[in-house]
Amino acid sequence: MRHIAYRFLAAIRSARVGTTACVGTAALGRPSRAQLGSCLLCAVAITPLILSALATAETRPRYGGTLCVMLQSAPETLELPPNAAPADYWDAARTLALVGDTLVKLDVQDHPQPALAVAWQSDPSARHWQFTLRRGVKFHDGSPASPASVAQILGALHPGWNIRASAESLSISIDSETPMPALLAELALPRNLLLKRNANGVPIGTGSFLVAEWQPGKLLKLAASEESWAGRPFVDAVEIEFGKSLHDQAIALELDKTDVIETAPQAVSESPGHGASSSSSLSVSLPVELLALVFSANSKAQDPRLREALALAIDRKPIQSVLLKGAGEPAAGILPNWMTGYSAIFSAPANPQRAGALLADSRPPALKLSLNLSYDPRDPQAKLIAERIALNAREAGITVQVSLSGAEDIRLVRIVLPSPDPATSLSEAARQLGLSQPAPPATPAGNPLEDLYQAERSLLNGYAVIPLFHLPVACEASARVRNWAPDPLGDWSMSRFSLSDVWLADPRSETGSR
Amino acid sequence: MSRPPSATRYNLRIPHMRARTSISLRAGWLTSFILAVVFLAPSLLFASSLGDTARQLAHKIATDAGPGAFALEVTNRSSLDDKSVREVRSALETELQVEGVHTSKAEQAMGTVEVVLSESLREYVWTASIVIGSDERKIALVSLPRPPTGAPFAAAMPIVLKATFLFAQEQPILDATLVEMPGGSRLLVLNDAMVALFRQQASSPTPRWELETTLPISHSRTFPRDLRGRLLLRRDHLFDVYLPGTFCRTSSIAGAPLTLTCNDSNDPTYNDPWPLTPEDNGVRAFFASSRNFFTGALSPGIGKISTVPSFYSAAALPRANYTLWAFAAVDGSLHLVDGVTDQLLRGVKWGSDLAAIRSSCGTGTQILVPESGDSERDGLRAFEVPDRDPVVASSAVEFDGRIVALWQDSGGASAAAVVRRKDTGWYEAYRVSISCSN
Repeated sequence: MRHIAYRFLAAIRSARVGTTACVGTAALGRPSRAQLGSCLLCAVAITPLILSALATAETRPRYGGTLCVMLQSAPETLELPPNAAPADYWDAARTLALVGDTLVKLDVQDHPQPALAVAWQSDPSARHWQFTLRRGVKFHDGSPASPASVAQILGALHPGWNIRASAESLSISIDSETPMPALLAELALPRNLLLKRNANGVPIGTGSFLVAEWQPGKLLKLAASEESWAGRPFVDAVEIEFGKSLHDQAIALELDKTDVIETAPQAVSESPGHGASSSSSLSVSLPVELLALVFSANSKAQDPRLREALALAIDRKPIQSVLLKGAGEPAAGILPNWMTGYSAIFSAPANPQRAGALLADSRPPALKLSLNLSYDPRDPQAKLIAERIALNAREAGITVQVSLSGAEDIRLVRIVLPSPDPATSLSEAARQLGLSQPAPPATPAGNPLEDLYQAERSLLNGYAVIPLFHLPVACEASARVRNWAPDPLGDWSMSRFSLSDVWLADPRSETGSR
Repeated sequence: MSRPPSATRYNLRIPHMRARTSISLRAGWLTSFILAVVFLAPSLLFASSLGDTARQLAHKIATDAGPGAFALEVTNRSSLDDKSVREVRSALETELQVEGVHTSKAEQAMGTVEVVLSESLREYVWTASIVIGSDERKIALVSLPRPPTGAPFAAAMPIVLKATFLFAQEQPILDATLVEMPGGSRLLVLNDAMVALFRQQASSPTPRWELETTLPISHSRTFPRDLRGRLLLRRDHLFDVYLPGTFCRTSSIAGAPLTLTCNDSNDPTYNDPWPLTPEDNGVRAFFASSRNFFTGALSPGIGKISTVPSFYSAAALPRANYTLWAFAAVDGSLHLVDGVTDQLLRGVKWGSDLAAIRSSCGTGTQILVPESGDSERDGLRAFEVPDRDPVVASSAVEFDGRIVALWQDSGGASAAAVVRRKDTGWYEAYRVSISCSN
C-alpha cells in the first residue's frame, strides 16, 4: 500500500516536474497565457520523446546462455574436406573457426589483420616470411601455442614449405623457393587453422570455444574458453546441430527452437532486411560463390566456337530473377566485381545471333552433337537451372540433355571463392574448376590489377568454363541474438562477425523456453 | 589520424529559446574559414586524384589505340556523383586530345572506347575497352583508392547538447580526454595497449593532433572481449588509467620524462576499485576483471549501502544534503540509490552507459543517456532527475555509428563519447557538453 502511494506521488511529482521544466525554459517571470499554452504544447511534445527515448536505449553485451545453431551438413569428422561442396565447406569453416585460429585474418577489403601472429614481414622477393606470435596463448589442452607447435602444424599442412621456429624471438619463418606474394591470404584460409587433434581426432585449438562433446554427424557442443586470448566469448556455450535441411532450420527458428540458421539467399531478396520471422535478422554475404558450367576433359564439345556459342546462348537474367529469385548477379568472369572492380569487361548478355554464327563454323557441326549436362543433385536449385540452360541451348541450335547418368560433357558446378584476396580466390577457383593454375605475374613489380585481369582472362580463354552467376550465402538469427552483424564473407571468422561476439538478450529465460 | 568529420555538432534548439549571442562576428568568419578548410580541402584533393587517374587512363588508351578519331562512351557504375563523372570525362577528353586521340561520333570514328567507372570494395576501378575495326579489342585498367564516406548529421530538440569531435583512429578507443600542459593542449587517447599523447599543432588552423609520445600499458591477464577503460586526470600526477584487472598511473616526478607504471595480478579476485566520479576520494566500485561490468561492491559505500546490483555505469546527482546515484544495472534495470534506499525504476530502459555532466542549466546536473537509432546511428540525450523520476531535458545529438564508450570527463562538466562509425568502422572520440539555452 505504501509502495502504491509512493508511486502515485511520484507520478504527480513527475507531471509537475515536466511542467516546471517547460516553464523554466519559457520565461523567468509569471507566465503569460500564450506562454502557458506553449508550455502545455511543450509538455505534450516531450511526453512521446520521453517514451521513445526510454524505449530505444542501447545496452552493453551480457554474458551467459547457450547459443543454438543448425547447419545443413552432417560431417563425420571435424575437418575441412579439400574438395568440399559449398554447403559442407561453409559449415566446416564456420565450425572450426570457433575452435581454432589462423596466423592472420583478412578483412573484407583484403587487409591482413593479426590473429595468432601479431606481426609479420617478408623480404622483397616474398620468398622469406617471418611471423611473430602472440605471447601467452595456449591450446585448449593447456599446452602453449609455441613457435615449435605452430611450425609443426603448418609443416604438416604444407610439406613444401621450409618452416623454422625460434623460441627466443617467439617467431616462425616460412621459406619457399618460389615467391609467395599471397602468403598472408593463404594463411588466412580456414584450411590453415592451427589445430591439434586428440586421440579421437577432435580438434584442439586456441579459439574462443573448446569442444565439449562431439557426436559425429549430429551434434557438437562447444564451451566458452575462459583463457581465450581475444577475451572470453559472451555466451557460455554453442550447440551446433548438424544434418538439418534448410526447411527444418527455418521451422526451428520460427518455433524458437534455435538461434542461428542457414537460409537460401533468394529468401533474402524476397524480403530484404527481414527473414521469415519479422523479429529475426538476416546476414547476407557478398557474392562468395560462383555458379558455372565446366566442360569435362573428354567432352564432345572440344571446339571453342561451340563452347562460346553456348555461353552466348544462355540468358542469365531470367534465371536470376525467376530461379534464383533475384539473388546474386549474372557473371561472365570468375571473380565478382566487389573483389576486382573490372567485371564489366566480361559482359554476359545473351546473343543468339552471334551464337548462331559461331555454330555455323564449329567442328564437328553442332547439329550432330548431343551434350550431356550434369549437376549436383544435392543442390536444390541446380536441376532447374540446368534445364533452363538446356532450353536456351536448344533455342540456339545446341542439343543439351540434362542427366545424371552417362558420360558428362558439361557440369553445372557451384564453387566457393574463399578469400577476399582476388588472386587467392582465382587460384582456388581454378583448382575447384579443374583448370590450370593462373600464371604468376610476369613482373612482380607490375600493375597488380592488370596482372590479375590477365590471369583471369587466360583462365577464360578457350571457354573451358562458362561463368553464370556470383551468389551470396545467407544466415538468419533470432531476435534474442544480439551483436549479430551481417557477415560480408560468410565464414563467421572475422572478429566483428564471429559467434564469439554475439550475446543473448535474455539468457536466463532460455531454460524455461526450451 | 583521420580527417575530422565535422568540428562540432549540436542538437537543434527548441524554437522558443533565445539564441546565445556570445559568438562575435569575427569568430563567425573564423569559423566559416575553418569549416571551409575542413570540408573543402579533402574534396579538392579528391578531385585532383580523379583528374590524375583520368589522365593516366587516357594515356593508356592512347597507347593502345594510337592517334585517330574514336567514339568515347563513359558509363558510371560506381558511387561517384554526377559532378565527379563529368570532371572525369572532361579530363579524359582533354588528355586524349593532347595524346592525339580525338573524340567523334560513332559513324565518323575508326573505333570505339567504352570507359566504365566501377569500383571494388577497396578502390575505384576504371576500365577502357578499345575496339578498332570489328575484331581487335584491347583493355586498359586504372585504379585509385576510395575515400571513406559519411555525412554529419544533426537532430532536433531542448537544452543544447554539443558534441565536439576530438580524434579518430582505426583502433578501438576506450577513453579520451583533453589536458592543459606546458606547451599547449594535449589529447590523451586510451586503447587496449597504450595511452597516446597528442599535441595540438599550433600552426594548423584546424584542430590537428600530432603524436607526441605513447605510453604502453603492460598487463599479464587477458582483457575481456567488450573491453572498457577509463582515463582520469589527477592533481599530484598527470593521470590514472583503469582497465579490468589493471591499474596504471603516471610518474609524478617533476621534470622527469613521463612514464606509465601498471600493476595487475594473475589473481582474478585482485582488483583496484574504479572511481565512479572524477574526484579521487569519492565512491569507488570494483570492476569484474574478466567481464564488462562492475560487480556491485562499493568502496566506500553510498551512505549505508555498500552493495548494489552488478552494473555497467553510474551517475552521481548531487543534492543539497546528499547525492543521488543512478546505476544502470546489468539486468537492464535502473536503480536510484540515495544512501538509505535502493529504488528500482521499472519501465525505465536506459541501456548500459550513463554519464553525469555538470552544467549551469536546470538542476545543475544532467545524465547523458545513449539511445539507439535506425541504421546503427546512436544518439545522446540529456535527462534530469529533479525528484525521483527522470525527465527528458534535451533532444538527441546523433552520431554516425554506435556509442561504445561514455565516461564523465575529469572536470565533470563534459563527457567523453566514443563512437564506432558505421561506414568506416573507425572509432571517433567526442567531447560532449551542455549549453544552457536561456
